[in-house]
Amino acid sequence: MTAVARTILALTAFLAAGVSPHTAGGAAPAGVSHYVADAAKSTLQFTFVQAGAKNQGRFTRFPVTFDFSPDDLAASKLEVTVQMNSFTTGDQERDDTLRGDDLFAVSKYPQAQFIATQITKTANGFEATGKLTLRGATRDLRVPFTFRTATENGATVGYMNGRTTVRRLDFGVGQGDWRATDQVGNDVEVTFALRLTAAAPR
Amino acid sequence: MSLRNTTRRWGAVAQLLHWLIVALIIAQVILASLADGAPPLRRLGLLAYHKSIGITILALAVLRLAWRWMNPTPQLPNTLSPSQRVLARFTHVMLYVLLFAQPLSGWMMSSARGFPVSWFHRFQLPDLVPKSKPLYEAMLTTHAVLAVLLGVVVTLHVAGALMHHFVKRDDVLRRMLPFASSTPGSDK
Repeated sequence: MTAVARTILALTAFLAAGVSPHTAGGAAPAGVSHYVADAAKSTLQFTFVQAGAKNQGRFTRFPVTFDFSPDDLAASKLEVTVQMNSFTTGDQERDDTLRGDDLFAVSKYPQAQFIATQITKTANGFEATGKLTLRGATRDLRVPFTFRTATENGATVGYMNGRTTVRRLDFGVGQGDWRATDQVGNDVEVTFALRLTAAAPR
Repeated sequence: MSLRNTTRRWGAVAQLLHWLIVALIIAQVILASLADGAPPLRRLGLLAYHKSIGITILALAVLRLAWRWMNPTPQLPNTLSPSQRVLARFTHVMLYVLLFAQPLSGWMMSSARGFPVSWFHRFQLPDLVPKSKPLYEAMLTTHAVLAVLLGVVVTLHVAGALMHHFVKRDDVLRRMLPFASSTPGSDK
């Protein structure tokens, strides 16, 4: 029965390796999965009210790293860096205006960043609480999201979806006349649908 | 003055719709001229009003046509020559066509540009056409051409009304005026 004994031994070793960080309460969060966004299959959109109607734009370059374990939220972390020049609203003239100093001011503030180290469980999923830095201003932001994993071609991938509202004037997106909210609303809805693939721990 | 038309005179509803649309078209011309060359945000605000009023005109045009079909139409006087009748008929048909075509071309222009139209920020209208740059440019041209055409037809319409009043001295103009007597020859 050496084959059976070897199998049991191997299983025990396997389980021990996988479980021990939790049971031992070790500092290294080995149960946390490290993900990065699959840029080709992830979207980051923003919806704003222009002249009373909903209009949309989207960013195309926004690297995401997500360290996550539903069982170890304390060790979970979300980090999103948005290349502010990488957007389109589908209208060249409007995009040029948005890039300008009174709005995104992309030449001075080329990146926006959201870093959340506090992730909590909610009734419908999770919520990431962190700091959004946009146009040089940093404010607290809560981002509710759902997360599920799937196995695709033998690999684990994560799907993360959520939306939040950013008040553009809190970040100074809108200087001078653009402070007015009658034609361009203050509330900007940000929605994201990310496909996350496993990455090496950093 | 009754609400409904008679064969001799326009009723209050038809008159109200006529003069309301006149006032709104004047507002449209002013807003469009102000928007031309205005800085982006101001332009956005002016055009938001222009679009909202355009949609209003479209709705009023529907009401107006429906009301016209439900009512008698005051007859043109017998003093008109056959060619004058044709011209009057043509002018009126063109005015109705343009009351629909001009707002619709503007609405299509906005949809093709990818800027949905709202009605005074109250509600958002559906897009009439998908976003398309060539279509946007075609509609931009169409809207401008129709504006010029409307100017020509309105000029004909006003010239006709004045001709009736001052040359033929009939009641064709007066019967569209709320406070004027429509009795033929009453001001002579």
